[in-house]
Amino acid sequence: MSFETVYEVRNVSKRYGSVVALDDASLKIGAGEVVGLVGDNGAGKSTLVKVLSGAHQPDGGQILLDGEEHVWHSPKIALEAGVETLYQESGLAPHLTVAQNVFLGREIPVKGILGKMGFLARKKMAADAEADLERIGIAFASSGRPVSALSGGQRQAVAIGRSVTWARKVIILDEPTNHLGARQAGEVLHIIENAKKQGLGVVFISHTLPHVLQVCDRIVVLRLGKIVKDAPASFFTNETLLGYITGAIQTLQEDAE
Amino acid sequence: MTDSKQDQLKPAGIGAGIAKLFSNQSILLVAVILVLGIFFSIQSGGDFAKVMVFNNILTDWGSIILLAVGQTLVVISGGIDLSVGATVSLSSVVSAFVMMNVFKWDGTITGDAATVPLLVGTLIAVLTGAAVGVVNAILINVAKIVPFIATLATLSAAGGLAIIISGGQPLQGPSNFSLISAFGDPRLNPFSFMIIAVIVVVVIAGLFIHKAKLGLYTYAIGSNTFAARGAGINVERHLTKVYVLSGVFAGLGGMYSYIRLGAGSPTSGSGMELYAIAATVIGGASLMGGVGRILGTVLGTLVLYTVQSGLLMINVSPDWKQIVVAILIAGAVAVQGFKFTSKRSK
Amino acid sequence: MNRSLKTMTAVAAAAALSIGFVSAGHAATQTKIAFVMGAEADPFFQAMKVGAQAQATASNVNLVWQGDPSHYDVQTEVPIVDSVISQAPDGLVLIPTDPTGLQASSDKAVAAGIQVANVDTHVADLSKVLTFITGDNGDGGAKAADAIAGAIKYTKGKTYQVVVGLTSKTATTNVARLDGFKAQIAKKYPGIKIKDVAYSASNPQTASSNVNNWLTKYPNLSGIFAIDGTNASGAAAALQSKKLVGKVALVGYDAYPANVALLKKGVFTALIAQDPAAEARLAIKTLVAKIVNGKNPAKRDVVIPNVALTKSTSAANLKKYTYVAN
Repeated sequence: MSFETVYEVRNVSKRYGSVVALDDASLKIGAGEVVGLVGDNGAGKSTLVKVLSGAHQPDGGQILLDGEEHVWHSPKIALEAGVETLYQESGLAPHLTVAQNVFLGREIPVKGILGKMGFLARKKMAADAEADLERIGIAFASSGRPVSALSGGQRQAVAIGRSVTWARKVIILDEPTNHLGARQAGEVLHIIENAKKQGLGVVFISHTLPHVLQVCDRIVVLRLGKIVKDAPASFFTNETLLGYITGAIQTLQEDAE
Repeated sequence: MTDSKQDQLKPAGIGAGIAKLFSNQSILLVAVILVLGIFFSIQSGGDFAKVMVFNNILTDWGSIILLAVGQTLVVISGGIDLSVGATVSLSSVVSAFVMMNVFKWDGTITGDAATVPLLVGTLIAVLTGAAVGVVNAILINVAKIVPFIATLATLSAAGGLAIIISGGQPLQGPSNFSLISAFGDPRLNPFSFMIIAVIVVVVIAGLFIHKAKLGLYTYAIGSNTFAARGAGINVERHLTKVYVLSGVFAGLGGMYSYIRLGAGSPTSGSGMELYAIAATVIGGASLMGGVGRILGTVLGTLVLYTVQSGLLMINVSPDWKQIVVAILIAGAVAVQGFKFTSKRSK
Repeated sequence: MNRSLKTMTAVAAAAALSIGFVSAGHAATQTKIAFVMGAEADPFFQAMKVGAQAQATASNVNLVWQGDPSHYDVQTEVPIVDSVISQAPDGLVLIPTDPTGLQASSDKAVAAGIQVANVDTHVADLSKVLTFITGDNGDGGAKAADAIAGAIKYTKGKTYQVVVGLTSKTATTNVARLDGFKAQIAKKYPGIKIKDVAYSASNPQTASSNVNNWLTKYPNLSGIFAIDGTNASGAAAALQSKKLVGKVALVGYDAYPANVALLKKGVFTALIAQDPAAEARLAIKTLVAKIVNGKNPAKRDVVIPNVALTKSTSAANLKKYTYVAN
């Protein structure tokens, strides 16, 4: 299967003081493609995610969205260009309803002068949120419920659903199945498949290798700040993937050819 | 991890029905007010049921509810504003000082002739309150001082400034006591112009907090600052708005105090921050942020002053008033804790 | 670390700011007299400050004026007195917020060779104190009772209801005035019944609220004794808003300019005024006489009577007793 590239980084590097967090990394993400990003702690995953999401600017290299070069001065600019990121720790505001969370930061105002004063079309947002979530396979609750009333899995589903709903090009998911039970993780993977069907490029970061192998089209392995392997998911087994992550299987020579 | 099965473990029957009803803070507070009203009426031999008592309670309510509304907004955002009482003092004094020394409007201007001076005075009081709010916002957002300490510092500074400007004395500028007097026969009508004006302000504030972006973003920040930031909300800018608004409401409270006393007094707000915070908490807001309703705060303030007025009407020793208020706050926090744990167990 | 440093800086800056307004430096060759009280912002002390400053200038004294702005409290006063003593003034005018709590500080000052005067209130043991000058608060309370009796045209055999607005249960001036008020009523006006008292906690809005409730509870209320400036402001506002000016006798305390204006308008039946400026002037004078000329005062304890101001008081006297804002 081949995908049309939607998002790409070329030769990006990032150092923090004397520590090289990311060394000359290049990565392509296709529309409708799920790319897994794996590696040990400190391998450079979170740095790469921050570069992709616009949270950090790389010291060198290029970022291309739809073939056009961009500099992300802030995550908000990346967001507005169509790159959504769901951070592991960000989550939702538990006291707000599902609909309020889905629309947070992108509220629909009522028409007219009241809208200019910040008054919100709450019924429309509630209905839209419910429809949008249902479209990507999340249909468990009324969107008027507060998030605090949802289970952990449901919350994660809403969080991902929120990103998928708004993403126009790329969605970056940082450990979305962390702390979830098997059934709930299955629901999350299902949502990722729906995002893929919508033609979004998906970057999936996870420690849970079976999930990565199950849902990804391609897997990129990071080690000590470098990309050490970039291959279709079918290339790996659980064991070989682990081998590349730990460095038990050396690949640099092979890549250099 | 939570599980849907636990939903079925909740107690059933009438007890549960009543528990559910009272889990709505507003209904609970209305019930508390009714019970207190009946109790005080019986104890005072019917004196407490007089319309004039209601006027007294509403007049007190008006002095604190403006601060309490601002405080509710701050508490929802996860912060606290201790400076509001001192801001009442400062804004009432600055307003009087400017009216008297800049515009040369003195205490001989009374009644309708005071309308324009008092409107100008209101503007000055609001600007003074906003200025205190700006200082709070800078201390919190730029100097990164926690709200408790930052607003404690401005409490001291604003209180000191009020004393310096006034020389420690009430400044008697233009006055119009008919604004705070009940319309017509006070035995029949508890409302005054000032009470109506405060109600209008509170309703507008309630709409902005519960129906508009202003409130939504405040809830989001108080609920999960990280999520709010992630959603693209400029948290610092929004918190600045929140503290400035709290200052503006305290400024309005200062003008209310000025009109009520016919003078700007450097001690007219002393201790009021505690009543504002108490009313907010009794009204159901959580000092942890993310929770709070204007209706709850409105009723919480009414509970406080129903008790204060009632104790006086039944000749309870004034020493007991403070203790009763303390018990009310402890009770409100306990109810909140109960609600929180029951929600978590779902 | 960084944050707590910032916090401390902010608090220190605020503290420095408030101190800067209070203290003023002078040349060191003058006689140096420190003046320490609680609740420095109270108009009573502000009026006292005017008298103290005037006498200090006249007697070439470097006046060090210190006190917690808002707390009338032994906890805040002791450290202030102790730090003032360490500046080694020649004399100290002390207004103790507590008779026993300030005793040790007073003795410490005397031991350090500092002449100590007490004004308004005194330490428990006055033996080492040069002079004690006070307004007669008990007499003020009695004068308030006379003023109310006069305003309601007290007639033997009739009963009258009055209430008293206080600031707190323990403020010594409040207690002395209330005792004087009660004693005078028991002696001369047995038909006057004190129905209730309430506390304002120094907030005039609370004082006003208390009076509002009384006016509702006692429709036949004859008079109100507002025992200090805060209660006077609050009670005057309540009478005006309930449109009961002239119908209920109101006797207030402390001749703030605002209260004197209301006396002229008839809102107050009478105002009991102290003469804090005179107390302060006398204290400074007595200290200077001792420090510079070695002269002891003729008698240690001096009582300056309170006066009752009414609408018929001469303009000159009204002016004389009105507390001057600094």
